[in-house]
Amino acid sequence: MIQWPARAVTMGGMFNPLRPGGGSGSANRLRVLADEELMQLVYRSKADAFEVIYDRHADAAFSLAYRICAQRALAEDVVQEAFLSLWRSRARYDRNRGSVRTWLLGIVHNRAIDALRRRAVRDRGQVRDEGLQERVAAPERTDLDVARREEAREIRDALDDLPDEQSHVIELAFFGGMTHVQIASMLDMPVGTVKGRMRLGLAKMRMTLGDPAEMVR
Amino acid sequence: MSAGHSHEDSRLCGESAAPYVLGALSDDEHEAFRRHLDSCAVCREEVAALQVVASALPAAAPQLSAPPALKRRVMASVHEDVRRSATREAVGSDERGEPDESARSSWRASRARPRWRPMLASAALAVAVAAIAAIAVFSGGGGGTRVIRAEVTPHGASASLRVSGDHAQLDISGLPQTPAQRVYEVWVKRSGGPQPTDALFTVTAHGDATVGVPGSVHGVKVVMVTSEPLGGSRVPTSAPVIVAHVS
Repeated sequence: MIQWPARAVTMGGMFNPLRPGGGSGSANRLRVLADEELMQLVYRSKADAFEVIYDRHADAAFSLAYRICAQRALAEDVVQEAFLSLWRSRARYDRNRGSVRTWLLGIVHNRAIDALRRRAVRDRGQVRDEGLQERVAAPERTDLDVARREEAREIRDALDDLPDEQSHVIELAFFGGMTHVQIASMLDMPVGTVKGRMRLGLAKMRMTLGDPAEMVR
Repeated sequence: MSAGHSHEDSRLCGESAAPYVLGALSDDEHEAFRRHLDSCAVCREEVAALQVVASALPAAAPQLSAPPALKRRVMASVHEDVRRSATREAVGSDERGEPDESARSSWRASRARPRWRPMLASAALAVAVAAIAAIAVFSGGGGGTRVIRAEVTPHGASASLRVSGDHAQLDISGLPQTPAQRVYEVWVKRSGGPQPTDALFTVTAHGDATVGVPGSVHGVKVVMVTSEPLGGSRVPTSAPVIVAHVS
């Protein structure tokens, strides 16, 4: 099981993020705060705190959008919309409903699928860049980046290790934006079979990964 | 299944948790299952168990760098919002500088249901048709698909360009891995010099890649691939390793 490294934490006594005026070097000090603490500052319209959130999650957001959209410009639009949505709806953030990262990636996923479907209607028959292998790999800048890269590898391995028929339906649904009925139609198999393969695949991944909830924060 | 379920609840129970967490239910099915969850502890538990895996799936995407220009655009919008908010505060319309109600609505909308759900019914058939059409076109090589064997420089590598209508895809095998900090970039040539595309890629351990040529290839005479610095180039900085003559 992957042990997710310790998240950025507040360094006791050094910096109170909620105290007006962080003092000199506050930008660097912001970077030691956990996302949930940064969101308290973002709520108060602190752009520099939001910038840290951006820096922390932009690569993951872009990677997901690009995997779904397979088009750089479209992926950029999706990520831009998602981050601005996060910024403009910051008052509604509730840490009890999940991590900032999970929530952000959820927005990215929804918007990317939305964009993908709009494009599918507009450009029906157009060939996607589907099947592209690794593109411009994100450099590993920090220990956290290294850990996240390792996390990504393990999750991808867990997906790749599934029987093809299970990983295929999961990828078509999650990254391809297809419903189970569309998948069943495309693969010429009963809807129940598609649902069953999705469930088996996800359950198997959960066993392989241990507790993924610890990995996605 | 919990006691007291209707026939419809029984049909929903136990089957829909996985497509639910993957976002693969239709709009109507999604709403029906969500209502079902209110009364079925078994399905709630299953959804909770599978949801953590679905939430981890974004990490399965190849990890890339967000373009620096994207950050500049996002932060420019954020700073503009801050500036406007400060202006409103100055005239007393938003004294606490908190997000406005429209932003709250935006959050609720994004947390509630994806915006694409309402168009799902009309989009569903089109998506299926498009997907099936793409598979049909490329599975047999017939039906209007032209396969052009490309000239490839590295020994032992091969590449072909599949042209279908205005679109094309490069199928590559045996191409050497790019050195660190470099990627392959796809270019198109019409009447002038090579034009860059958005297609930057690396190959698998076996040297394989399947790369769509972005946009229309109408009027394109040559599709080529070069090795470029990370992030791509606006003009080629190395000799092409793949050249496919379209016309």
